[in-house]
Amino acid sequence: MNSDLKTDESESADDSNCVKSLLTGTLLLLVISAAIGLTINTLRPGNKIDLSRDYFPSRASSLEPGQRVLQENGTSNPEEGDLSSQGNEVSSGDGNSDESIETVPDDGMQRLSFEDVRDHFETGEAEFESSGESIVVFVDARVKDQYEDGHIPGSVWLYHYESESLIDDLKPQLEMAFFVIVYCNGGDCEDSLHLASDLGSLYGLPPENIYVYEGGFNEWKEMQMPITVGTEVR
Amino acid sequence: MSFIRQIDATGIPLLLARFILGLIFLSYGINKVADPIGFLKSINNYGILPTSPVWILNGVAVILPAAEILCGLSLLAGLALRPAALIVTGMLCAFTPAVYFLGAGLVGTQPEFTSLCAVIADCGCGAGPIPICEKLMTNTGLLLLSLWAFLSKSKRFRGGLGGG
Repeated sequence: MNSDLKTDESESADDSNCVKSLLTGTLLLLVISAAIGLTINTLRPGNKIDLSRDYFPSRASSLEPGQRVLQENGTSNPEEGDLSSQGNEVSSGDGNSDESIETVPDDGMQRLSFEDVRDHFETGEAEFESSGESIVVFVDARVKDQYEDGHIPGSVWLYHYESESLIDDLKPQLEMAFFVIVYCNGGDCEDSLHLASDLGSLYGLPPENIYVYEGGFNEWKEMQMPITVGTEVR
Repeated sequence: MSFIRQIDATGIPLLLARFILGLIFLSYGINKVADPIGFLKSINNYGILPTSPVWILNGVAVILPAAEILCGLSLLAGLALRPAALIVTGMLCAFTPAVYFLGAGLVGTQPEFTSLCAVIADCGCGAGPIPICEKLMTNTGLLLLSLWAFLSKSKRFRGGLGGG
């Protein structure tokens, strides 16, 4: 009997030690992982993740009264164009047909259709040719490789996830513009929405000047619009 | 059961589990470390982590790839074998249902996504865009291997310093 009891006690002690060692080992691995991960992130030259930054601000934003405006043929009218009481709508360009208005998510972003963007582009290019300046600035929120492979002519490169280190050089140009049109690839890409939100809330640009071209570069290319390859400084 | 014990006692399933899991998790981790922003976007798309405070999502994007690399190396070397297998099992248990819900959510969003098995998406696992069904089957296989590595009582091929 005594030997049976001793065996049971010994097995129980072994089990307890085993669980303790397992938990200690697991905790140790997790702590070492955290240390390695944070060290790599700190030492990384680019693509660093800022632990305190909200990289996806547009998911939490909601429509603010007076912020949404209807964009018609290249003109904005913040006072008369508040559609917050009518739901979320975006003009497809002609501005006088109910069929041209489509429903968009309730995130307070001003969205432009291809036709609007094309009009802004043509106006901006004409202005730039005549005066060397333009009140329209296109902002490419994609990674640098994609920007260099082809972008809307005149666009500045402002990769959303590195915008903190890029914004200082671009801010004077963006502050002078009345139409800051942000785009990425379109489709599932939401980086233009997140960057547009940051431009207003984080970097202090007037929200009424910021627009998102949701069709993005893919639509621009499909429509056989002009494209510039490589880097570009205006 | 005795048959499984006999097989386990040979140590060969444990050895296979260690090397397959070790190599796969090592490669997943390296791919994620190479593209941290891509991984951050992927885990944000899952919507399974709280969005506030923001350091939780960002911290997972920073730490999880390192944990995958460390667990992969532990499994290959046989150091802290059971803790590494436990962490890997935990990751697979968390992310496999998340992959399923991600795939299920994409059914019907594109003309070619007629069913779950027709959906091709980047699950953020470090392997790029792949068919969701294939990913679910792979994860199920990996889960079985990680459970084997965790529960194995084999004294052979535990590697390292005894394997924890």
